[in-house]
Amino acid sequence: MRNKLIANDSWYNVETGLLDRRIFSDPDLYQEELKNIFARAWNFICHDSQIPEAGDYFRSYIGEDEVIAVRDRKQQVQVLLNSCSHRGNTVCRADQGNTRSFFCSYHGWNYDLDGTLLAIPGYEDFYRSDIDKTEWGLQKAAKVSNYKGFVFATLDEDAPSLEAYLGWVGRLGIDQIAFRGDIEVVDGIQKNRVQCNWKIAVDNLFDWYHPKVSHGSAMDIGIATNADMHPMNQMVILGEYGHAIGGPGLSEESQLKIVKEHGHKKPTSAYDRKEYTDIWRATDQARETLGPVGVRSRGHPNIFPNFWITLGGTQACLRIPKGPLETELWWFTFVDKSIPPEARREFVRGVSHIFGPAGLLEQDDGENWAHSTRASIGTLTGARPAVISMGQGHDQVVEDPSGQSHINTVVNEHGQRWTYRSWQEWMKADSWDSLMRNHSKAPEGKI
Amino acid sequence: MPDPVQSQKEMLTELSPMEHLLLQHEVEQFLYKEADLLDRRLYQDWLNLLTDDIYYWMPIRRTTTGRNTDSEFTKMGDMAFFDDNKDFLEMRIKKISAGNAWSEDPPSRTRHFVSNVKITSVTDTEITLDLNFHLYRTRLDSVEDSWLGRREDKLRRVDGQLMLAQRYIFLEQTLILAQNMSSIF
Repeated sequence: MRNKLIANDSWYNVETGLLDRRIFSDPDLYQEELKNIFARAWNFICHDSQIPEAGDYFRSYIGEDEVIAVRDRKQQVQVLLNSCSHRGNTVCRADQGNTRSFFCSYHGWNYDLDGTLLAIPGYEDFYRSDIDKTEWGLQKAAKVSNYKGFVFATLDEDAPSLEAYLGWVGRLGIDQIAFRGDIEVVDGIQKNRVQCNWKIAVDNLFDWYHPKVSHGSAMDIGIATNADMHPMNQMVILGEYGHAIGGPGLSEESQLKIVKEHGHKKPTSAYDRKEYTDIWRATDQARETLGPVGVRSRGHPNIFPNFWITLGGTQACLRIPKGPLETELWWFTFVDKSIPPEARREFVRGVSHIFGPAGLLEQDDGENWAHSTRASIGTLTGARPAVISMGQGHDQVVEDPSGQSHINTVVNEHGQRWTYRSWQEWMKADSWDSLMRNHSKAPEGKI
Repeated sequence: MPDPVQSQKEMLTELSPMEHLLLQHEVEQFLYKEADLLDRRLYQDWLNLLTDDIYYWMPIRRTTTGRNTDSEFTKMGDMAFFDDNKDFLEMRIKKISAGNAWSEDPPSRTRHFVSNVKITSVTDTEITLDLNFHLYRTRLDSVEDSWLGRREDKLRRVDGQLMLAQRYIFLEQTLILAQNMSSIF
């Protein structure tokens, strides 16, 4: 089917900024994505604070592979495939909790917290002791790693280290949350399903063109203003393997003004955006952790492929694919453990009003994403390429002495172009080795 | 002014069967009227039924094992789907009515049902209810959502009229199977 798509065995034309829409619904491509992207990438699984004690577990997904993140008796976080070695049945049905072992409800195979097969009913009588239990533990993610409390796993043993995978852009994305200090996930992961392709949801996080229209009603009632979106002051940061940050960016002068106003204070009062973006970033520690450019970025990071961190680093949304036409949105909320209880209360209330299925901003996204996805199925609507060329060739990557190269511009589609370009490189690579050799380095010069 | 401690005295068991029946009828009629206002999109009239100190809350539910059901719902103060006071409910209504709230324009079609209404507490000003609900929503051609659950409502008598002072909504769904929850429950 590839030769039917745009040109030169490609879905995305890097020169023209045109994208074959069928990537949003093609079932064969979806199967390839599961293998070439989700099984290969480092996927966000959960935060350390969600599973503090031995036996604590949180159930999640890597693509369509169901996994359990569990703290074992040695306090190590294991990422186990939730599938009994015998017939494949799940061994964990709860979303989260605490357990001593994972017991299969089909025939009773029982697994330890580290995946070791402990017992097979009828081992002597029926199997006549003729099965090697050490061979049939639960499958495990090839690698599990933790960046500042954020647990990631990959199913590919050839993957580079998590730090190398994230690069400075991915790390900066997570640092937007982590730099606040001792953070934890607030209990309660909001989950809902949207009838859209997962890439449409990812595309949207870089999209600072849509708020004024999609979220016009939320703006009219004062949830946000168009000025908050800073359409004329945008900063984009692009990193290897598809990580990117896009959205409002402050000038040096604006950042210095904030430092002057708020420097060295910790936010203490009730939640508001100013507290959670500006004041935190006014400190020396913020500048040191985020870097001289990163501290001025107010954009949305995406950790490729599907982990979005919101403005101000207060929440993150995982976009879990459920077939080409469906995506689950999982919202994680992060809070500094040291803020006063009233501030925490106000903060939690505030974020539930913005995002999640009942949030006044997010309410209006799902239908747009679903209908954009559906268009890719039509004969004519699917054949017409998606235009993602906004601003292409009109901007410049600015080198910074710190190494934090970035683009200062207006509302644009650099983040989306980078995502689809990287997506295509992942899809064409047949291994980590070929991806490492053939992926685009962060761009320089005119872009 | 009645003594505040006295005014909170539990009076449910003191009601005669006839008083209970009349109260049951009155609260059910209130719930039906309220549901009707929402289904007819008379949102401003609905807002007028709320006390100024209303608290409207829908915690997040998750699948737990039978041993861990005490953590099935998030606790108040942790994450929720709805965590609203009157001001915020007014904002929700203002948004629905804005003309550019695309999740509700074209408007969804809803039908609210309540049943299994049990009066669980009565004081001289407040009546606490435990009930089941079904909110059906459809929109455009084929979007169809069905939310069922249990509610704990508190009604307060203000100048002789019942008003809604609290609504806790306990959904059956853990993963919300809808693209959003832009409806009022």
